Amino acid sequence: MKDARPIIETVGLVKQFGGRRQLLSRSPVVHAVNDVSLRVRDGETFAIVGESGCGKSTLGRLLIRLLDPTGGDVIYKGRNLASLSATEMRRLRRELQIVFQDPFASLNPRMSVADIVGEPIWLHETAGKKERREKVLDIFRTVGLRPDMADRFPHEFSGGQRQRIGIARALAGEPKLILGDEPVSALDVSIQAQIVNLLEELKERLDLTLIIVAHDLAVIRHMSDRVAVMYLGEVVELAETDDLFETPLHPYSQALLDAIPVPSPRARSAQAPVRGDVPSPTNPPKACRFHTRCPHAQPICSEVRPVLERADEGGRQVACHFWREIQAAGSSARAPIAASANFETRLALYRARQSGGAAPLKQP
Amino acid sequence: MSGMESDPVLALSDFSLRFAPGKNLVDGVGFEVRAGETLCIVGESGCGKSVTALALMGLLPVPPADIVSGTALFEGRDLFRLSEAELSDLRGNRISMIFQEPMTSLNPAFTVGDQLTETVRRHRRLPAAEASAVALDMLKKVRIPAPEKRMTDYPHQMSGGMRQRVMIAMALANAPKLLIADEPTTALDVTIQAQILQLIAQLQEETGTAVIMITHDLGVVAEVADHVAVMYAGHVVEAGPVEAIFDDPQHPYTIGLMGAMPSLGRRSGKLATIRGTVPPIERMPDACRFMPRCPFAQNKCAEAVPPLAPVGDGVHRAACWYAPLEKHFAEVA
Repeated sequence: MKDARPIIETVGLVKQFGGRRQLLSRSPVVHAVNDVSLRVRDGETFAIVGESGCGKSTLGRLLIRLLDPTGGDVIYKGRNLASLSATEMRRLRRELQIVFQDPFASLNPRMSVADIVGEPIWLHETAGKKERREKVLDIFRTVGLRPDMADRFPHEFSGGQRQRIGIARALAGEPKLILGDEPVSALDVSIQAQIVNLLEELKERLDLTLIIVAHDLAVIRHMSDRVAVMYLGEVVELAETDDLFETPLHPYSQALLDAIPVPSPRARSAQAPVRGDVPSPTNPPKACRFHTRCPHAQPICSEVRPVLERADEGGRQVACHFWREIQAAGSSARAPIAASANFETRLALYRARQSGGAAPLKQP
Repeated sequence: MSGMESDPVLALSDFSLRFAPGKNLVDGVGFEVRAGETLCIVGESGCGKSVTALALMGLLPVPPADIVSGTALFEGRDLFRLSEAELSDLRGNRISMIFQEPMTSLNPAFTVGDQLTETVRRHRRLPAAEASAVALDMLKKVRIPAPEKRMTDYPHQMSGGMRQRVMIAMALANAPKLLIADEPTTALDVTIQAQILQLIAQLQEETGTAVIMITHDLGVVAEVADHVAVMYAGHVVEAGPVEAIFDDPQHPYTIGLMGAMPSLGRRSGKLATIRGTVPPIERMPDACRFMPRCPFAQNKCAEAVPPLAPVGDGVHRAACWYAPLEKHFAEVA
């Protein structure tokens, strides 16, 4: 990381949905995000991970003010987003962009892709038609789309290409920060790799900050610098990526990491997976929200809410009453299994051939 | 892994399928699965893995589907030659299937108990009370908490993981010989996925059911498979024991797929990619279908279909003219 200055900071962020008065009752209140305080550093890739209903997408949207918080503040480059007027927010909007999960649902089927990508430029700039067109084609090249495809419509593209269009649209505003809300989870593995690589290249080239919201831990390990693990609306652990994956401290982080199927048949997990379902966010457990599923739970866990406390000098944080004891008892993630020599050799050949030229056919 | 001597529960051979005149969508696919064993069919969208499973279950409407060739031997009978009535007797009884999205496979208008009981009564002539007892027993087997209470629940009252447990209970209620599971955990969260995979494995151990698991996730494959068939664009491009596939992958597609998966270890450079996308069926190459995307492609690859031929010990097979690659391509300096 070039700079530890935060680009975005949240203080006691809360978001609740529902609770509206209906005919005879109130609709249930969903506690989507509960008291989240974190900092995203300028230029980093920050990941928010968790299972469905943990509030990760809501938190992501709060960070770029696509949603207004119920309580707490979001501070972007020293300015409180909540205090901005609609005009100011609109001006800032171009700096804070989003790439959605479903590249089809997020593209207007009646607009040509050049119009889709050109719209943010049209909205934010006074550029003429010709200039705008030039810019659009330029962005097309940047994201690896052929400029001659610009006048086609979204349905003419494959899933991976559509996601490139979504990224192109995000780039058109010349953003400082892009939120990727499950940006690759709807894609096949081989296409997913193309998009992951593209996002990384763009981040380097354009000096972006990335916030990746995802449930796929392998993608997060590969892409991100730091990770926030969420469970039922709360951040339970926040750590550098390698630290989290090598020595997860929170029992939920451990359960999550243990549950990932490791792509090696010799690493089959013998451990029993964490029990039970995620409780409903309309009625989350009291105190520590994980205590109903936690193998280490003690009476205090259902009585006192553990706060996110510092776990080392580097800014690692964990919200568990017993993380020290659990760590001392020798918890750690499964050791990664080294790939076989045959696979390494052939993958090296594959990469060499793909990058062009190298590894010629042997003459018999 | 059970020995090679035991007869396969299901033997599919030379299976070709198309939906319109022209090229076969699935072309010359074959595999076998034995009692107590799990065969994983792995591949990306459009490789033909799900359509093959549906054809085995007799769930593809013919026409438009056109089974061009192939036999699927199950208990001495060819599934492709059975009448609808014969298939109805097999399905949910000798062969069961579970799908990715349990909500769309369960009837929202009936309780879970009713649906389970019906499955039992359809195939076994049991009085209602006994069938209901079997149903309850199955709910216990799939470890649904408070099963008596859950019998009267409707599907929408359950979580995704619970619904998938109900589907598994229903699929296994009549002790099938073969279970086909099409992406059974793809819609589930990772902790719930781990629970469901473990459940399937435990029940399989108890019953000796053969399982065909269709998935796109190599992690799941590594976790559950005994044997693996890798499919690409309607062809099986590589097949063999799970250790062989992971330790000694031979087909460029398998290698690309593995290299494209982010690892859980420390980051080691960029992900490998497979360039381009699967061509539409009209533009599918005649010989090796992976050729346009393959970094090793040679003229020969456009001329003749590479057979799924033995590599190494003979059980492991790959459909590539240039396997093993290091024998044919000079190392990079």
